[in-house]
Amino acid sequence: MTIDLQYTPKHHALRTEARAWLEANVPREPLPSYDTAQGFEAHRLWEAKLHSGRWSMVTWPQEYGGRGLDLIEWLIFEEEYYRVDAPARVNQNGVFLFGPTLMEYGTAEQKSRFLPRLASGADIWAQVWSEPQAGSDLAALRATAIHDGDEYIINGHKIWSTRAVYADWGFGLFRTDGFSERHRGLSYVVVPLRTPGVTIRGIPQLDGESGFAEIFFKNVRVPVANRIGDEGQGWSIAMATAGFERGLMLRSPARFQRAAQRLIELYRRAEQQTAPIDPGVAATVTQCWMDAEAYALSTYMTASRLIAGGTIGAEASLNKIFWSELDLSMHRAALAILGARAELRGRGGGESGAPAKIPDEATRWMDGFLFSLAGPIYAGANEIQRNIIAERVLGMPKG
Amino acid sequence: MDFTFDEDQRLAAQSLRELLNDHCQGSDLRRAADVRDLPSFEAACATRRARLAELGLTGALVPAEQGGLGLGVVDFVLLAEEAGRAALPEPLVDVEGVAHPLLAALVLAAPSARAESGLQETLAGSALVLSTAPGTAVLANAAFAQYLLLGHSDDELALYLASDISLTHRDSIDPLRRLSEIVPSGAKPIAKVTGAAAASAWQAARARSTVLNAAQLLGLGARMLEITVAYSLERKQFGKAIGSNQAVKHSLADVMVKLEFARPVVYAAAATFAPMRVAHAAVAAADAADRAARAAIQVHGAMGYSWEVDLQFYAKRAWALAGLNGGRSAQFSAVHQSALRGELEAQWA
Repeated sequence: MTIDLQYTPKHHALRTEARAWLEANVPREPLPSYDTAQGFEAHRLWEAKLHSGRWSMVTWPQEYGGRGLDLIEWLIFEEEYYRVDAPARVNQNGVFLFGPTLMEYGTAEQKSRFLPRLASGADIWAQVWSEPQAGSDLAALRATAIHDGDEYIINGHKIWSTRAVYADWGFGLFRTDGFSERHRGLSYVVVPLRTPGVTIRGIPQLDGESGFAEIFFKNVRVPVANRIGDEGQGWSIAMATAGFERGLMLRSPARFQRAAQRLIELYRRAEQQTAPIDPGVAATVTQCWMDAEAYALSTYMTASRLIAGGTIGAEASLNKIFWSELDLSMHRAALAILGARAELRGRGGGESGAPAKIPDEATRWMDGFLFSLAGPIYAGANEIQRNIIAERVLGMPKG
Repeated sequence: MDFTFDEDQRLAAQSLRELLNDHCQGSDLRRAADVRDLPSFEAACATRRARLAELGLTGALVPAEQGGLGLGVVDFVLLAEEAGRAALPEPLVDVEGVAHPLLAALVLAAPSARAESGLQETLAGSALVLSTAPGTAVLANAAFAQYLLLGHSDDELALYLASDISLTHRDSIDPLRRLSEIVPSGAKPIAKVTGAAAASAWQAARARSTVLNAAQLLGLGARMLEITVAYSLERKQFGKAIGSNQAVKHSLADVMVKLEFARPVVYAAAATFAPMRVAHAAVAAADAADRAARAAIQVHGAMGYSWEVDLQFYAKRAWALAGLNGGRSAQFSAVHQSALRGELEAQWA
């Protein structure tokens, strides 16, 4: 068997089924931003809806409410998902990071306690990694979880925690002994965010919404059963989580192929309606299309390799750099085409009780642009990814 | 849907790599690059040519019914990458990837005794066939060929005895590419196809050449990266290897990103042969190799600007190949036109 880029009848059937369900169920109007209280709950309901059709966790095993799809099938589902501009996944961190981590490292009790509620959207999960003095250098973290009988007492200050303003649970790393340094002595612990001793302060992002938060823990007691894996094993579990994140599942190629398609549509409309377009912008539009295709092909290649028993290593870092720069480039091109329209905010709401209004096209591109600026920073800054590639793949010495 | 190469394809590439590791290192290239006259050049390449002939790739893309191996471009793409990696002076890709199947197509479209016997000679390895698509006047390695496939336009595919064609030597910036300008003359072809059959044969030949050159560019880029990483570990300034500096690391990490995201595009083009994928492959591979060459020379410092460093062989080959088949600019325009005309969905069947 040589390279085969044709979908099988089973693939086509899956696509047809997903398309039919999505077309029947995707909200007609885009949901308000999940960085607002109202939007968050609307997105939580969408997670429940997806779950009712068994589309919320397609790659999870059937016993946990998934369909047991392989990575190629997942890519097909994602293509259909983005094709209809279905809502962003408010439980993304739970679905793609915490869920797979729990399946690999959790006990049977932990799995049955957390996975069904995660799958249905009853619990929305946030990451609790960074601290004011521990960003790229995560091993510098100081928050503690000290063993006391059957409980841990958690103290510390976490920050840049995405979705934490409204989320129900957080997963992250804490020092479970008082003396270890760096990546030793860390444990992976899950913490309810709506519990005494937890103070959450939203941090407004560039778009003005509180999409991330800082979290203060003051003598928060959680059962020892909230620890995933062994005490002191936290770093290696977290690295596995980071592997999922930067690897294939954080940003599916369909997201960028859909954006590239929207960019081309924007370009073609502008070409017909407005003054001549800078040939440099036209070339960027084409480059974006090519890069979105390249990312898709690369993902299909990696997925095929993983299905055949391979593992994901440094590709994760290569992917992270590639898609984050592509995303930025697409949005910059869109803003260049939009010209003076780019700065206009076409989204109202604000009066209490009034429904949050839907962003118009220019606002959507600007919001997307602002978010794309975060891409090269979150999930491990691109500078760190370049170090990883240079040191672990190319074999260059640490600085 | 399975985007992986099979065992046979990987093993074939592996054996070519081993052969080239033994016979196509920088020192081997330098021996050939340092001589000007044709016989000395051929002498410098003789051992490698003999080993390559033993590899059994002759007629690789010629259909089995016509006495070839009946392989496809997808079976050849990893071999082309290896040829690039080594900056192979021999026209393995131009002959077996392009001209040989083109000759077979001519024989099929217009059977004739003379064309048939030409194909038998080339399959037996006693003669070499090369081709240059209409509109290109300069051909590498034509001086070593016995048969040439040429055309005044896409409507004509004609087989000539090389001895009937007037060739003028031209120097290349790549000292390992022996170029000849083909001077139009009154030579008579020994076989000829015209019309639609000729046009489709040329179109296929151009697409094969474009994809396989893209694969060579991937190999060249990867080799330049490898050479440069090694140099960055060896060269010390301020008491430490220059490769421990982040500015150097990040530059080379970016080269790797470019190469690794050009790779699946080239492989998909080889597997599907869709025109848009082929053009995309040409652009992506040319850009990646260009980035590799630029970073490699910079990291080598003054050594990178010197004749003494082997890096030049790979960089110059990359620059030469990037200009062929219309070059990066024409290929980019082709993608641009298709992408903006909405020919998107068809790529994923």
